Amino acid sequence: MKTRVLKSVLPIVLGVAALFLSACSNDDGKGAESDAPAQDVTAEMQAFYDDNPEFFSFKTMADLPDGLAWESGEGLSDLGSPEAKKGGTFSYYIADFPRTLRRVGPDSGGSFRGWILDFMVPTLAIKHPNEGLYYPGLAEMWSVSPENKTVYFKLDKTAKWSDGVPITANDYMFMFFFYRSQHIVAPWYNNWYGTQYSNITKYDDHTISMTIPEAKPHFEDSLLELSPMPRHFFKELGPDYVDRYQWRFVPTPGAYIVRDQDIKKGRSITLTRLKDWWAKDKKFFRNRFNVDKIRLNVIRDAAKAFEAFKRGDIDLFRLNTSELWYEKLPDLDGDVQSGYIGKDTFYTDIPRPTYGLWINTSKPLLDNKDLRVGIHYALNWKLVIDSFFRGDFRRMRTTADGFGVATHPTLRARSFDLDKAAVAFAKNGFVNRGPDGILVNAKGERLSFTISTPYARYGDILTILKEEAIKAGLELRVEILDATAGFKQGKEKKHDIQFTALNVGGRYPRYWETYHSDNAYDEAFLADGTVNPERKIKVQTNNIETLASWDVDQLINRYRAATTEDELVATAHRLEEALYDHASFVPGFVQGYERSAHWRWLKFPDDFDVKESHYVFEGQQFWFDDTVKKETKAAMKAGDKFPVSVNVHDQYKVQ
Amino acid sequence: MMITLNPQTQKKLRRFKAIKRGYYSFLLICLILVLTAFAELLINSRALLVSYEGEWFFPTYTQYHPGSDFGEDYAYETRYRELRAQWQADGSDNWMIMPFVPYSPYESDASSGVFKPTAPSVAKLHYLGTDSTSRDILARLFYGIRIALLFALAFMVVVYLIGISIGCAMGFFGGVFDLLFQRIIEIWSNVPFLYMVIIVFSVIPNSISVSTRIGILLLVMVLFSWTSMTYYMRTETYKEKSRDYVAAARIIGASNFRIIFKHILPNVLSTLVTFMPFTIIGAIASITALDYLGFGLPPPTPSLGELLKQGTATLRTAPWIVMSSFGTLVVILTLVTFIGEAVRESFDPKKFTVYR
Repeated sequence: MKTRVLKSVLPIVLGVAALFLSACSNDDGKGAESDAPAQDVTAEMQAFYDDNPEFFSFKTMADLPDGLAWESGEGLSDLGSPEAKKGGTFSYYIADFPRTLRRVGPDSGGSFRGWILDFMVPTLAIKHPNEGLYYPGLAEMWSVSPENKTVYFKLDKTAKWSDGVPITANDYMFMFFFYRSQHIVAPWYNNWYGTQYSNITKYDDHTISMTIPEAKPHFEDSLLELSPMPRHFFKELGPDYVDRYQWRFVPTPGAYIVRDQDIKKGRSITLTRLKDWWAKDKKFFRNRFNVDKIRLNVIRDAAKAFEAFKRGDIDLFRLNTSELWYEKLPDLDGDVQSGYIGKDTFYTDIPRPTYGLWINTSKPLLDNKDLRVGIHYALNWKLVIDSFFRGDFRRMRTTADGFGVATHPTLRARSFDLDKAAVAFAKNGFVNRGPDGILVNAKGERLSFTISTPYARYGDILTILKEEAIKAGLELRVEILDATAGFKQGKEKKHDIQFTALNVGGRYPRYWETYHSDNAYDEAFLADGTVNPERKIKVQTNNIETLASWDVDQLINRYRAATTEDELVATAHRLEEALYDHASFVPGFVQGYERSAHWRWLKFPDDFDVKESHYVFEGQQFWFDDTVKKETKAAMKAGDKFPVSVNVHDQYKVQ
Repeated sequence: MMITLNPQTQKKLRRFKAIKRGYYSFLLICLILVLTAFAELLINSRALLVSYEGEWFFPTYTQYHPGSDFGEDYAYETRYRELRAQWQADGSDNWMIMPFVPYSPYESDASSGVFKPTAPSVAKLHYLGTDSTSRDILARLFYGIRIALLFALAFMVVVYLIGISIGCAMGFFGGVFDLLFQRIIEIWSNVPFLYMVIIVFSVIPNSISVSTRIGILLLVMVLFSWTSMTYYMRTETYKEKSRDYVAAARIIGASNFRIIFKHILPNVLSTLVTFMPFTIIGAIASITALDYLGFGLPPPTPSLGELLKQGTATLRTAPWIVMSSFGTLVVILTLVTFIGEAVRESFDPKKFTVYR
């Protein structure tokens, strides 16, 4: 009887639950945007301006200092090719559908952000990727005033948001309010815009100045590279920001927009070029942003994406692994030999991502410097580079390669040396080998650590290192995690040794984030410089090695306080030497180039790409030639051939 | 009951033997099990026998021999293949016998110095070629099968132990106990198995050794797989419970434990046996699928799923990877299926029925 009651009630319960669930999902969807009551953040913004008068200043043109020397990037050469044609659709792929169209806030840091922000949105001034000086973006001209740590800007009066609203000084004021607002749920932005800048002054609608709190060499970089926020669009900013703006495309000063009808959730997303873009005839923009549409299909599997490229469904493919370059699309491939697909190796000169092993110095045994030195000598990176990367990559040398003068000129990473490894391990009592050939100390502890990585594609590297390390009597247990879990493990300092990389950028390397004890422990040291016995590990920071060294701290403090470039560079070199001695970062490899293949209807400038390039499509210098596409398709049918196009562009190669 | 087979069982065995396809499949699987049990002697980078300066060494199952044991100048494991080539070149009196395939499943053997898949080659003793890090595919397959088969057998034993105990208890005791467990099983069996394995396995701390982690994987899989067996056991026990022989045993004063395991279980065993091969197939398929997705056995443990994954990524450039791994999977699963069909048929009481 009881069973029968239960069985007759169950469907009803389930039915109600299903109804409830479907109702919820309706709310989560489009409904939230349109049904929510309109709100207005203007009053809150005004109050914020009033509460922070030292930060937000309103002055008149009469207050503008006299005799400012205005710059506007004269003498820099054009970007892109004058032969570029407008039009066509560039097809490419993304590995995952973006979780939001917001550029700030939860889930906004995915790879799609590049397509709506990093590659696309001009800043006040933009660093010329070949010549290193700034050219005008949203500002017509600017004036750097080091004595009062300020940059003055004359904004371009023609600049407009993609929805037609002119960009004015108000949008720059609003930018600071926006980034410092709690509504955006982005602590990093709150912190950065709250501490790295000290003032913005509006002189008139198109004249502003911005100031930073402390003088630093090339302080103007961080001001020139700011981009405003559309105040009219974020009028409804409020505690529901995350949901309200989830799928609304933020008006952009850039050339491409995302239209609502082009968002095919889970399948594809298409960007459309603004035909009347305000900057389309400007010197540094006229030959770029050429294609009418950029269609990004979601292809989750890299092997499948390559097949899509080979079929001609996507126009370009990055071939950075040896497997892709030599095996899947060798120079002898039919499509390459027939000239349908071109292959290009382009050497770049950029700060290199820090691929290497990050040793967690808070773990037992790994807290010992000699033992870490032994691990350095037990790792055969040369074999990895020669056998896995086929000698195309080179060994990374320091923790900060590719920063020009700031990179240590002579320091080199330790190379594989079993004798030196044995000496270093012996200093810790690891002299005898156990039955499996792994070193054991007097207490019976094995010399064994877990080596983990968030990069499944590089799992084989760890296997190679593991097999070689056995020769030195060191066991490495390989653990390949999925990306999210892997990065989490590193940030929570739960790893022994992690193979990972942090993205780097800027003119000078940053040390505080990764090597200062502030990011390793809460109160790592007592006032006299001795270790605080009650210190606790600090999680969610980039100090993945939990490196806490009083000496390194002092150097980092000096580095951050440096006011001249000479002092800064000298301190950076001292820091590198200290980090080499500390032996907690094992430099891995550096990829000195970007390799890619493209169908011949995708055209590139004669010099192909720019010196400071991370992605071949980053600068949007390519263009699409429809007549060539028709010609190629016809030739493929007829079996006709074109000249083979396999090129190396080494004009920016670093020796 | 296991030692003295009753005539019924003997008859079933005779019928199983008569079904040739299933019987030979069974023999073949047994052969594979025996061969893989001695895998170290057949496929290994360690020599079977080394004669060095008149002294004989058998390194296969012993502690590792550092190179210095054989007059080399390194302290790590002897590289037997190189040493043998060197001895032969020098015309030395020392000699050694290497296994049939002289590669371990973990070592990379890149003759060109570049790690990439190489096509099968008898000359290089890579009978099935190498995978993307130049490891011998035959070695990885062989050790992979061993792990998969042992894993599946262990899985089956544990699942049946739990399933039989709980299923029998439910059927035998009935009442509230039965009702309660039915509901628990209904809820439990609705937990998505694959997701649970992925979630559980992603939070296991990494300091645990590989074999323990395989054990944990087994445990997690068992935890979400024992429920299906209980249904059959419950109904069978229900049916048998009302038979006269059970009542007779009860009158004699046999305990519940004795009734279940001595009287009822042997009578429901035939149902169980027919499911066994299919449980094994399920387990092999699951572990392969998990490996394929990257949530199974921790690398660099050799596994079919990991090879399949490599194979699908290199379909055009290295077809031998997917061919050999897929082929092996098909062969193993087909063999077990044949056994399963034969068992089912030989245990079918309706031998002469027209309804077949």
